[in-house]
Order: sequence, then C-alpha cells, then structure tokens
Amino acid sequence: MIEDLPPAPDVAGTSLSGRESVTISSAANADLCRSTGVEPASDGSAHHIWYFIATQTGMGKTVAGLCEACDFDVNDGPLMGGSRVLFQKPIRCDTPYRVEGEIRSIMRKRSRKLGVMDLMEYELRLVSEAGEPVLATINSWALPRRELA
Amino acid sequence: MVHVGDILPTFELGFVDPEAMKVWSKALRDPNPIHLDREAVKAAGLGDRRINPGPANVAYIINMLTAAFPGKQVGALDARFLDNVFEGEAVVAGGTVSAVDGSAVDCEIWLDALGRGRVVGGTARMVDP
Repeated sequence: MIEDLPPAPDVAGTSLSGRESVTISSAANADLCRSTGVEPASDGSAHHIWYFIATQTGMGKTVAGLCEACDFDVNDGPLMGGSRVLFQKPIRCDTPYRVEGEIRSIMRKRSRKLGVMDLMEYELRLVSEAGEPVLATINSWALPRRELA
Repeated sequence: MVHVGDILPTFELGFVDPEAMKVWSKALRDPNPIHLDREAVKAAGLGDRRINPGPANVAYIINMLTAAFPGKQVGALDARFLDNVFEGEAVVAGGTVSAVDGSAVDCEIWLDALGRGRVVGGTARMVDP
C-alpha cells in the first residue's frame, strides 16, 4: 500500500532558474552530432537535442543538486521517464541563452520494475538574453527508492 | 506530398558506442555512473552493460525526422522512455505520418533496439522554419 510509505519530499515549486548564461559552441555541437552518426548543420543551427542538454546544463542546479533537492543520491541511478519540448525558435550555436524553470511535481509510486520510486517532473525554458522564448521542455525522472522497497 | 500513413525512412545506428556515452555525460554534466561504469549498472540491478543517456536515444529519432523532412524543423516532440539502450546494441529510429495540418506534419515516432523491441515511443510535429 502506498499509504504505508512516508511522503515524497515537498519540492514542487523549487526554482531551477539558472544564474549564468549557456552557450553551445560550434565545436561542442559538432562533437555531439557526430556521436549520433550525423554531421552538424552548416547554417549555424544546433542539433535539436540541445533542447535537453542546454536547459539541463544552464539550470540553477546540477543533476546531482537536483537529485539532492529531492532527497535522492545521484549515485543511486535516476532514470528518465519522458521528455516533452515545444520549440518556438531554432537553437543557434555560439549564442548565449538563459534558462528559467522549476520543479512541477513529485509523486511517490510503486513500480513493478523499480519497486518504490518517486516520479519527479520539472519544467525548463530556454530564452534569449533579450528574454525572447526559444523553447519550453518538461522532463520526468524516476527516482528509485530502494531503501523503501 | 506527405500523406497520413506514410512510413518514414529509418535512421540506423549499428553500434551504441560507450565512448560516445562519455561525450554525452560531459555535455550533460551528468555524473550518473550508469553511463560510465558497468559495476554501477550491476549495483543498480539494471544489467551488466553501460546505459546510453536517454537524450542520446531521442537524438537518433531527431536524426530520422530531420532526414525525412528536409527543410522542416522539429516544432514539438514528446518522448516516452520505455526501456534502456545498452552499450554495443544496434538501434533503429522510425516513424509514420499521423496527421497533416497545412504545412505541419504530425508523426508517431519510435526507437527500437534490434532483437529486444521498443525502447522509446512518442510523437513529433514537424513545421516550416
């Protein structure tokens, strides 16, 4: 019974807005494109998957820090559940962006595969330095709580 | 012309390289050891091979989409992670057209690990720049 378990940490609303801008270098984009088996675009646009990388690296917490905010040790292996993104503009290389966002929710569940886990959802928005929206993404992670299994 | 039901050309990667996982871990600044250390994967009860970072699996699908629709770009994407992709595996990204709305094209998308089945499923919308 899920009612027998202690509640998930109360972290909804925790700010994930970054304090420093994030810039995707053309070299980093080229390395990443090639790691997936394609060449970088020649028009200065970055691979679309930077929606995830740029927001994650530009947010106000590291991955370990985000896990820690959820009372979870990153070494226990967080797992991605899903990722949604809505683009308003392409992401450009060598262009500084800011990241805004927050933890939306966290819910404790029992999973057949993972046992007890917390399903945590957070939203990040990539904006230009002038404040123009580029994209918004919502990611969900499963945080296995083996100590509660 | 694009029609509902059209099957998109696949994007195939014959070998998920653990060296590429290092590139991703560095880019993501992600210290999660399941991408770098087989012992950590074993300790987590997730098998005995290093696990590809989830966004890399989405990147293969994006490669499929951008090759299938030259001149368009991803307007929206919703990916569900159904299973892990492990080092050394071969993966195939594919999709079908589910709707056409003016110049926008909606697609069902997926990534399969050869011999194991679906590891990512979802939807995407391709739009004009």
